[in-house]
Amino acid sequence: MALMLILLPIVAGCALFALPRGERLWSRVIGCAVAAATFAVPFLCDDAGGAFSVRWLSRPFTASLHFAWSGVSLWLVLLLALCTFCAIVATNVAQTRTLIALLLLLEGTMMGVFTARDILAFALFWDLMLLPPFFALVEWGTHRETAWRFLIYNFSGGLTLLLATAAFGILSGSTDVIGSTHQFAGSWAPWIFAGFAFAFAVKTPLWPLHTWMPATYADSPPPMVAVISAVQSKAGLYGFIVIGLPFLRTAMADWRGLIVALALVSLLYGAFVALTQTDTKRIVAYSSLSHLGLIVLAIASFNPIALQGAVVYIVAHGLFSAALFLILGYMEEREETRSISKLGGLGANNPKLGGAFTIAALAALGLPGLAGFAGEIVILTGVFKAGYIWPALITLVPIVIASAYMLRLLQDAINGPMIATLPQRRDLTFAEALAVAPLLAALLFIGIYPHAILTAVLR
Amino acid sequence: MPNFITHEDWLAILPLLIVGGGALVVLLVDLVWPKHAPRYVSLAIGIAVLLVAGTFAATTYGRSYNAFNGGFMLGGFAVVFQEIIVVSAMFSLALFATFGRADRMAGITALMLWSTSGAMLMAGAANLMTIFLGLELLSLALYCLCGLADRPASQESALKYLILSSTASGFLLFGMALLFGATGSVTLASLALPALISNPLYWLGGGFFLIGIAFKLSLMPFHVWSPDVYEGAPLPVTAFMSVVTKAGTLAVFARFAYVVPNGHALLLPFFIIAGISMIGGNLAMLAQTDLKRLLAYSGVAQAGYMVAALAGASALGIRYAIYYLGAYMFMNLGAFAVVALLSTDREEGAQIAAFRGLAQRRPGLAAAMSFFLLALAGFPPTAGFLGKILILSANVNAGFAWLAVLLIAGTAISLYAYFKVIRLMYDRHELPGPTVGTRAPLAYAGVALCVIFVLAMTFYPLTPSNVLPLAK
Repeated sequence: MALMLILLPIVAGCALFALPRGERLWSRVIGCAVAAATFAVPFLCDDAGGAFSVRWLSRPFTASLHFAWSGVSLWLVLLLALCTFCAIVATNVAQTRTLIALLLLLEGTMMGVFTARDILAFALFWDLMLLPPFFALVEWGTHRETAWRFLIYNFSGGLTLLLATAAFGILSGSTDVIGSTHQFAGSWAPWIFAGFAFAFAVKTPLWPLHTWMPATYADSPPPMVAVISAVQSKAGLYGFIVIGLPFLRTAMADWRGLIVALALVSLLYGAFVALTQTDTKRIVAYSSLSHLGLIVLAIASFNPIALQGAVVYIVAHGLFSAALFLILGYMEEREETRSISKLGGLGANNPKLGGAFTIAALAALGLPGLAGFAGEIVILTGVFKAGYIWPALITLVPIVIASAYMLRLLQDAINGPMIATLPQRRDLTFAEALAVAPLLAALLFIGIYPHAILTAVLR
Repeated sequence: MPNFITHEDWLAILPLLIVGGGALVVLLVDLVWPKHAPRYVSLAIGIAVLLVAGTFAATTYGRSYNAFNGGFMLGGFAVVFQEIIVVSAMFSLALFATFGRADRMAGITALMLWSTSGAMLMAGAANLMTIFLGLELLSLALYCLCGLADRPASQESALKYLILSSTASGFLLFGMALLFGATGSVTLASLALPALISNPLYWLGGGFFLIGIAFKLSLMPFHVWSPDVYEGAPLPVTAFMSVVTKAGTLAVFARFAYVVPNGHALLLPFFIIAGISMIGGNLAMLAQTDLKRLLAYSGVAQAGYMVAALAGASALGIRYAIYYLGAYMFMNLGAFAVVALLSTDREEGAQIAAFRGLAQRRPGLAAAMSFFLLALAGFPPTAGFLGKILILSANVNAGFAWLAVLLIAGTAISLYAYFKVIRLMYDRHELPGPTVGTRAPLAYAGVALCVIFVLAMTFYPLTPSNVLPLAK
């Protein structure tokens, strides 16, 4: 069944290319159906995470095409399926068919990353998931360099991941280890961890490897960026959780000081830069840098409570950043600008858009009752408990700043006086509302009942 | 030691006798046919001959026999290399369906077959004489093939290849002479004597020998001929050269590398050259505007990867080198088949600019081309990806981690060059180039086959066991 999660979207994505170029309706219907089906798969099949395993290599190390979900990966699978569904429902760009096909290919390859139980299979899908965003940037991007920057940064990460995988496989004899309690140590371990960590840090991203990120987020079509920021950026965190923490624990402990420092810099830097941006998408992009820094800090604190919080926040961030980017996309489509100095007063005539954006923004700044707060408070407790008192205190600064830049965004775009030159367009359509509603509902659900995820981690 | 030749010996080289004799059949048919034999007749005979030879060679898999007093070894990896050579010769012949003058096709086919038989001889050659014989047979036919097209560049390429390749053969031959002086024997097995280490002739001869090999493999400081020759030669010949020359020479190098005593010290400079090729070949790719030149430099780097797999002369290394060679064959020939479909005999569509907006004109071809370029860059899920990871692990295992790091760095550099072409095909901002090209069914079949093999090799990694380069 885990194989279904991967193959269904990939096959459907390839099949979509057979539709005529300008097709809109059917590609959306097929795309939504496939995403909904992948969301349903984990509920339909309960046996051992739908495990599927075939021997792949027996020399020079054993490797299997082994896929299953459990704990953290189950939540990421659900998040990915949900975000893909929401991104596809209201996709409306030039060449809609192609974008939906790419979104499905992205979903299938990332399902591979999140369900892989073998590091080699993980590396395979890791590289593969870089292709759909690249082609999206080639087709819809406005700047030539963005696609290059995205690809070269991320594929360099993919290559160090490959080297680390080969070394890990040779020295430990098998890469079919994810989910086991296999421990790996030795004089090579720190370097192998460094190879993995570089890939994960580029993908997350961590300062100073983040420079591809704001441009990519600003330049990609909104449905694509919703999925990338919500789910693809989590692949790096997922890697730290399932590869770094269990197998390379001692090596990770060696690098811990550096990781914590980079996470804190990302937290502060992202927050301060978000304050100064005027492009709506870039504000949210830098806020992502800041929020993901918090999650890395939580993972690097080696504290089980912080880890639980990290998983909650991973899901929460996925939900609100997908919602924010989708709504910003609808806003841009209507007003033809992303500059907050030109936007204003949208809430008066577009109550649904304004309301949805407000909820997502409040979740992002950590309002209690929404998912963001649940994650933050658990993370802070854990980090504090792990003895990182100063980092925990420093973390409070960007959380306060988050209120500032999110409220600034809300104030300038949704509230405030209406701007006469801004075209008056209609409110969210039914499809657009359908795209945002599940994300907001999930934010509320997890905000009230984070226990659902907290227990999943312990299992 | 019995000093006569038995029928067993002839049986051992039967595949290459079939190929060499088949060339004569092609010429005879052309002679008796009123006017000239039609294009497809010559090609069909050529491909049929190769099929027969390939099938026959396959039956010898796993059989070990030492023919002609150690001149030609059956067993070990010989048959695997022969199959790779035969398959790529078939592919290249199929590409001739739309190239070259029809009245010359018999000659072209015959030359290709002779060249193939030379490479097949190299695959099994186990003494210095047969190595040289095979190499010259391969090269002499190639000199003629390079000059086939009615373009000045083609003649220039033939002349360049003749002069530079002969120089390299000179180095090789000189090295062989010195090695003979050191051991008093022409067999490679006699090089295994540990006492040779104190003999300066051995070091000098080995050095010259390796320079000749590096030239034929187009490793970095000795690669300057390859872009020019690839660019000028007719497309199917370039495709043929890019794989077959490498396969034959790699077989010779492997046999040499696995037998010499104290291999580390003698071969270390060679592996350093391989490392330079990985970085330099990929760097040079960035500046190319012609796809054949780009693939030539890509071939420099890929040859570096294959040689790197042999570092440390481990039993696994040779298997992965062969695996990568097989993968490279399909990726490379696939890319050439796509270019062939975009070319006419008059105008080869190898300018990278000709790929502009290809996705709008011929989406299937653009997708196939992207697939092959991704495979060459080592993207999953292709055999290039798995091949790289196998080579990396062989390197780490053999204590050559620095080669693994260079491989990764080279791959990172190559990314931009491959993706430049991919992007050009898909970028909607680019004005579409002129639509030229053919729709030869044979080339389409070739592209499809290559895609299937490159994918299949990822999930069913056939790394044949029992492929050690025997020399005794």
